[in-house]
Amino acid sequence: MSEQTSYDAIVVGSGITGGWAAKELTEKGLKTLVLEAGRPIVPEQDYVEHVPTWEVKFRGLGDRKKQLADQPIQSTCYACDEWSSKFFVSDKENPYTTAEGKPFRWIRGRQVGGRSITWGRQSYRWSDLDFEANLRDGIAVDWPIRYADIAPWYDYVEQFAGISGEALGLPQLPDSKFLPPMELNCSEKLVRERVAKHFGGERVLTIGRAAILTKDLNERAACHYCGPCERGCITRSYFNSINATLPAAEKTGRLTLRPFSVAHSVIFDSKTRWAKGVRVIDANTRATLEFHAKVVFLCASTLESTRLLLNSSTPEFPNGLANSSGELGHNVMDHIKAGGADGVIPGNEDRVEFGRRPNGVYMPRFRNVKSKHPDFLRGYGFQGGGYREGWERGISQTGFGVDFKNSLRGPGPWRFSFYGFGECLPSHDNYVELDKERVDAWGIPALKIHSAWSKNELALRHDMAITASEMLAAVGATDIRPFALDEPPGFSIHEMGTARMGRDRKTSVLNSFNQAHDVKNLFVTDGGAMVSSSCVNPSLTYMALTARACDYAVQQMKKGEI
Amino acid sequence: MRRREVLQILATGAGLQLAPSKLLIFLREARALIENHQSLRTLNAQQDATVKAMTEMIIPRTDTPGATDVGASAFIDLMLTEWYDDDDRQRFLKGLADVDSQTRGLFGKDFVDCAAAQQADMLRALGEKMIEEAAEQSRVEHEFPADASFYPMLRRLTLTAYYTSEAGATDELHFEIIPGRFVGCQPASPIKEVPQQK
Repeated sequence: MSEQTSYDAIVVGSGITGGWAAKELTEKGLKTLVLEAGRPIVPEQDYVEHVPTWEVKFRGLGDRKKQLADQPIQSTCYACDEWSSKFFVSDKENPYTTAEGKPFRWIRGRQVGGRSITWGRQSYRWSDLDFEANLRDGIAVDWPIRYADIAPWYDYVEQFAGISGEALGLPQLPDSKFLPPMELNCSEKLVRERVAKHFGGERVLTIGRAAILTKDLNERAACHYCGPCERGCITRSYFNSINATLPAAEKTGRLTLRPFSVAHSVIFDSKTRWAKGVRVIDANTRATLEFHAKVVFLCASTLESTRLLLNSSTPEFPNGLANSSGELGHNVMDHIKAGGADGVIPGNEDRVEFGRRPNGVYMPRFRNVKSKHPDFLRGYGFQGGGYREGWERGISQTGFGVDFKNSLRGPGPWRFSFYGFGECLPSHDNYVELDKERVDAWGIPALKIHSAWSKNELALRHDMAITASEMLAAVGATDIRPFALDEPPGFSIHEMGTARMGRDRKTSVLNSFNQAHDVKNLFVTDGGAMVSSSCVNPSLTYMALTARACDYAVQQMKKGEI
Repeated sequence: MRRREVLQILATGAGLQLAPSKLLIFLREARALIENHQSLRTLNAQQDATVKAMTEMIIPRTDTPGATDVGASAFIDLMLTEWYDDDDRQRFLKGLADVDSQTRGLFGKDFVDCAAAQQADMLRALGEKMIEEAAEQSRVEHEFPADASFYPMLRRLTLTAYYTSEAGATDELHFEIIPGRFVGCQPASPIKEVPQQK
């Protein structure tokens, strides 16, 4: 029996954006092939969120030597642990290189669901403070869209994904269509009140806005607060492709999901100047296969979609498909993090939280919102939260015996941490290219990444430590420990840019609907499309842009334009 | 000393020429090497006995199980064999040997043969040294192992072995896999008494 090779649409990738593209395109009537490089995931077998520490060999410390050998880069990510390392790639099979003196941490997942299985679930709308930023500052190019263009699509994806959170009415962080917020804990409530009092209402602490259900939605159950979402969720309470979008696409009867399908290149028809389909290497048989479609959506993640286009050069596009602008691969961004502070919050020693809330707090950006900061452009938001110290505090204590054991039976002091995520400016000098000397396990050229923080990002990180410490001091914290760690780009796992949108085809790769300027039936709807980086987590915006681009593509097909 | 050498010494009676205190030590080491418990891969029986004694002192059996009940020394043997690098393992084993050297110097006996008060003195001395070292060392966050010497390593391993075990997590800390709800701020319930374990 020969395999079907012709479809209405091909989607490359099954993560956050691939799942959305699959859902939207199939629901709009297109027979859609989703190509996923990795293996299938069977939740009943692969999800391990309820496997306790005593049932894993190294009690949660991970198979250190194996990880050092197979996943030396991936295992630096907190989520790549003894349970979830299987949801991260082998660094051996998936190499990348970096420019001398410019480290970049690229954290990747190749399986059905992609990184949506392990993502942090924080979900925030961007605002016109973000969409107008480049124009206002005269940096890079202007976004071709404004908040009003994307707002209805935020509404749309939020009501399906399910975003819990608290409405604040802030212009710099528009409210979503929220499910009920999760509760703040004792120390967070205290910090919220005191920060509001000391900083004139300019700094607001709120519960994290998270793609986790606080009540049942679309046959998915409300969260049961077991804690480690990155290991999967058998009740489908947090949003990922396997829990939500792929089942919706499956339901239409028009989805073909093909795992073990490593996309090699986009096939370009030089006569029509359209994308004809996608060339694939079957990860099991190593055979090269071709699949054809009327429209191609690249949703393979920022750097993978760009790598695919760079590897799809043609005589017409010698520097990568759809790259007449020369901007493909350029302007790679990530949020700068690892600046902040933590401290002990006295009080509430006789009170505890119950359950493990898989969500922290959020403090929306307050720098360069109402007033202008002399040292840097843009700003940052704080994540973090309050927690009571656990048994680990006993390691550095000297006690032993019955009294010591009893002292660890209850929780330790309340601590609170502020952890900043700051905006990264787009720069043509931060870019990726194909490394001619390195290939991955399937013979596809690896990426070489050239990326470094600019002075502006480093100034943001420095300021995070200062403002976090000053807030902790103001709320009466003790043992305040500021930090500003020297982390390389990439490690926020919010990589963006490299195939940016724009109004001018001479300076951008995609138009305002994520459609390639040069190739009409080719769309890139992952983080590659981003023109600036905001300081808030980008995934919700990818979802909205993907749904919007699918709607546009299908309209164009109906009009006969595609 | 290799196992073969020990067997040779025992066979020739050469060990009997040692002074009585040395002889006891020799015989213990010999027994440890020969009787090395099959399930242990790094620790010999003597080392295992010392680790068992020390871990049980840190987390003793009370109304809930203690370190020995949850197999802390077996976990430590696993970590030394499969998890740590060679130099970390050597540091741990040397530290363990130093404990016996010190108790021999102070009390004329191996740690396991010391009286409870002497053993407690030894742990207190190790604790004081740990605090001194920690003060010297700049703090390294989120790194494991950041422990520069034997005693903090032992404490980390003991507490990890205990509190991540089923008994430690559930009997001692009342960990629930599926809490089912989240309450942000509620009064701490009084610590429940747990029935005496077997």
